[in-house]
Amino acid sequence: MDETQNKEQSASTHKIGIYLWIWGLLFVLSFFSYMVDWFAFQGLLRWGLILFFMFLKAGLIMAFFMHLFWERYALVNVLLWPMTAIACFIVLMAAEAEYTVFTRALYFFIGG
Amino acid sequence: MSDEYNQNNTPLEAQSSETMSGSSSSKTDIDYVRPAELSEQDLYHGKSFITKWIFCQDAKVIGVQYFLTAVFTGIVGLVLSWLMRLQLGFPELVPFITAEHYYQFVTMHGMIMVVYFLTALFLGGFGNYLIPLMVGSRDMIFPYVNMVSYWMFFIAVCVLMASFFVPGGPTGAGWTLYPPQAILPGSPGSGMGIILMLTSLSLFVIGFTMGGLNYLVTILQARTRGMTLMRMPLTIWGIFTATALAMLAFPALLVSCIMMTLDKVLETSFFMPAIIQAGEVLDYGGGSPVLFQHLFWFFGHPEVYIVALPAFGIVSDLISVHARKNIFGYRMMVWAIVGIGGLSFFVWAHHMYVSGMNPWFGFFFATTTLIIAVPTALKVYNWIITLFRANIRMNTVMLFCLGFIVTFVNGGITGIFLGNVAVDIPLSDTYFVIAHFHMVMGIAPLMVIMGAVYHWFPLVTGRMLSEKLGKWHFWITFLGAYSIYFPMHYLGFIGVPRRYFEMYDSPYMASAVGMNEFITVAALIVGAAQFIFIYNIITSLRIGKPAGKNPWKANSLEWLTSEVPPVHGNFGEKLPVVHRWPYDFNVPGSKEDYIPQTTPPSEVIGAEVEKT
Amino acid sequence: MSDNTLNNLPGGYKGMAHDMGSDQTAFKGVQWGKFMMWIFLLSDTFIFSCFLISYMKGRSSTVVDWPNTSEVFSLHVGSVPVPLLLIAIMTFVLITSSGTMALAVKFGYEKNRKMCAWLVLATAIGGLTFVGMQMFEWSKLIHEGVRPWSNPFGAKQFGSFFFMITGFHGVHVSIGVIFLFIFARKTFRGDFDTGKRGFFTSQKSDYVAIEILGLYWHFVDLVWVFIFAFFYLW
Repeated sequence: MDETQNKEQSASTHKIGIYLWIWGLLFVLSFFSYMVDWFAFQGLLRWGLILFFMFLKAGLIMAFFMHLFWERYALVNVLLWPMTAIACFIVLMAAEAEYTVFTRALYFFIGG
Repeated sequence: MSDEYNQNNTPLEAQSSETMSGSSSSKTDIDYVRPAELSEQDLYHGKSFITKWIFCQDAKVIGVQYFLTAVFTGIVGLVLSWLMRLQLGFPELVPFITAEHYYQFVTMHGMIMVVYFLTALFLGGFGNYLIPLMVGSRDMIFPYVNMVSYWMFFIAVCVLMASFFVPGGPTGAGWTLYPPQAILPGSPGSGMGIILMLTSLSLFVIGFTMGGLNYLVTILQARTRGMTLMRMPLTIWGIFTATALAMLAFPALLVSCIMMTLDKVLETSFFMPAIIQAGEVLDYGGGSPVLFQHLFWFFGHPEVYIVALPAFGIVSDLISVHARKNIFGYRMMVWAIVGIGGLSFFVWAHHMYVSGMNPWFGFFFATTTLIIAVPTALKVYNWIITLFRANIRMNTVMLFCLGFIVTFVNGGITGIFLGNVAVDIPLSDTYFVIAHFHMVMGIAPLMVIMGAVYHWFPLVTGRMLSEKLGKWHFWITFLGAYSIYFPMHYLGFIGVPRRYFEMYDSPYMASAVGMNEFITVAALIVGAAQFIFIYNIITSLRIGKPAGKNPWKANSLEWLTSEVPPVHGNFGEKLPVVHRWPYDFNVPGSKEDYIPQTTPPSEVIGAEVEKT
Repeated sequence: MSDNTLNNLPGGYKGMAHDMGSDQTAFKGVQWGKFMMWIFLLSDTFIFSCFLISYMKGRSSTVVDWPNTSEVFSLHVGSVPVPLLLIAIMTFVLITSSGTMALAVKFGYEKNRKMCAWLVLATAIGGLTFVGMQMFEWSKLIHEGVRPWSNPFGAKQFGSFFFMITGFHGVHVSIGVIFLFIFARKTFRGDFDTGKRGFFTSQKSDYVAIEILGLYWHFVDLVWVFIFAFFYLW
């Protein structure tokens, strides 16, 4: 195994250990996510745990497998800030869904 | 970093040079520019006719291909508009136009003009030709994908045009394609027509994603030495931001197209609620039409900025060159473009105030819409201040720029009306809206396109267009377009609805008949005037005055190529090295009234500045 | 840009201001193809986000009950229903393939042709396994009566969103698998060492292509993380 860096590539390669650690961590988190369903948590606890493990897994994949942890800030910021538009869309569509189900309950069941 | 006001007259240490090696000797060299980070691009040179002109990977050829295809679709859209105006103004003259036909014309005109004409022209046409030249690169960074992107666009146009010839004809659902009507019988083209439209849009999105990748990465990663982001011409900033918007907004369109196609083909119910059609209960149920509207306008609003921002950028450069003055407040113009681009993702539901969405949304979106007006207005002020006490050359290009400012201000102000929820309620779905968006998205960017053609024609072909014909073309187009759309605001105020096949019998509609006739006549005259433009282009190709190099005495890199018209590789042996921004016009003390971007500081220092 | 130069540049947000203000490139040391892939992935993220947002809206506004996902997606081991078993295995396979891909990128940059090639091949096989399992899942559900237009378990939209979202994801995985097999062959042949020109693009091959493909593959895994959480678990 040739460990010398290629002068023209920008990526510095890391020791194999870090990949195996992250790999293992991802399995552990997937297992925990699965346990949320196995133990049949409900309501806010269920959704909270699902989201928590999901973001953790996503974060690990992006940071280490996709190398963002070592990239310069310019790239990381350019990639992450557009997510605010998605976040706005999510919040608004959740509100819209609530309004839709409210009007359906009103018109279909209460007869408003 | 570039400090534009300092570097012209006083000898300064090189500023653009953050030296990578850190050696101090290079800091005293006034002309120092950082060495190249990357080796030169590996260009593919076509050898056969097919690889040089058909499947060509040269961005300039691709740009012309986009331009011609987009103009062709634009002409189709223009003809459709004549048919619509004939029906509205003189219905008895065109008995062959039925209501179904009319809605099909409305839909195809809208979709063609917004997406296939304006977007393709600005991003694909101007973007492909100007980006590599203006940033000082030899070509786009992935010419093969660039070439494929054009042919995807071409296929998308073919699929769109095919929808004219299928049973049922093209879709007549309005360019907004709202479900559930768009896919139900009763709407024209609800069979094959809508499917072809959705397919064509999907192909368009895929093609423009490929193209967009090229434009973004070339601008960000392939600039020449000395070309910082804040030294790029505003044309590039406009096209760049528009491309970034396209990359992030087209996904929503693709998703809504896919879901509507599934609703039509597989009878899923993404957007289809429970429906009773002519007494029969359909198999749909549970879907949400307003979801489509949200998805569509999440795309649709950034889309109109995708059309507007390149126009903003281009007009800034045209004004600057032809008024021989630096654009006022360049940095703020850049931030305004970027700010408008970013904010455009948070205003979409101002198109949906009357849709029956969550009522609280009006507060949020009206607020963001009025906020986005601020950077837009800032740009208008800066264009006007640029012109103030400038050395204005009243040629055709400048006339079109002035026409842009006038029509854009008009359209922008009516946008404020519509951005407010309460005022929008009576004006929604009336001719006021049509007048607004035609002014701001139709006429104004079109003025910029025409001005840009007069401006860059000498570069692309090596010949000048005729000024005389140009002035005729401008005055008829500008006055004519104003005559079309200004009166339309009044029609909207009195409540004449849009997307109506005929002006039905009622007192207030009867009062609109004369106005409609006037507008139709104006539209036909403006349409005819475009033949002056086409004639000008075709004849100038043969007998136009030879332009030579840099006939407008501009500063940006596209005028500094080794040959005119520029050839494959753009700049000959050596890539240009940039030392300044492109707005050094009438700098006190300089020999000429312009200083090209490649002029090093050592050539301009020691100039005598008159005491004023 | 060599590692030496990269390390000498200012870091943090000051570094970001420096990079954005510099000439030539705004993203130091990021090869063109890699940056193109990142932007494409950003765009693709928006596509999947729009799909998932539509799913959220559709599921939250339904007046008919949504099917119980742990029941619908369970596999029977003997006579015991194990909820989400197939999905768990699919997740395991995809994460493993992500791991092998990351290792392949590492060995690629170290110019270790053999290890890189085998790992790319392993990733391809993992991806193929995933697609196979996804097709098995589809056929099982279709057999049980789930259609895009209706299903016997609950709200109509369940089937439509399921097939559409997993279908789109499956297409992405399949495209990735095809490229992985192609790149495995290229690596075995030594194309990345010799810089052989590509068939379509005529561009010189380079190990950075493995990293670029790796980014795409990790994205596919990332989308699966979200689909798993929102569709199967929620």
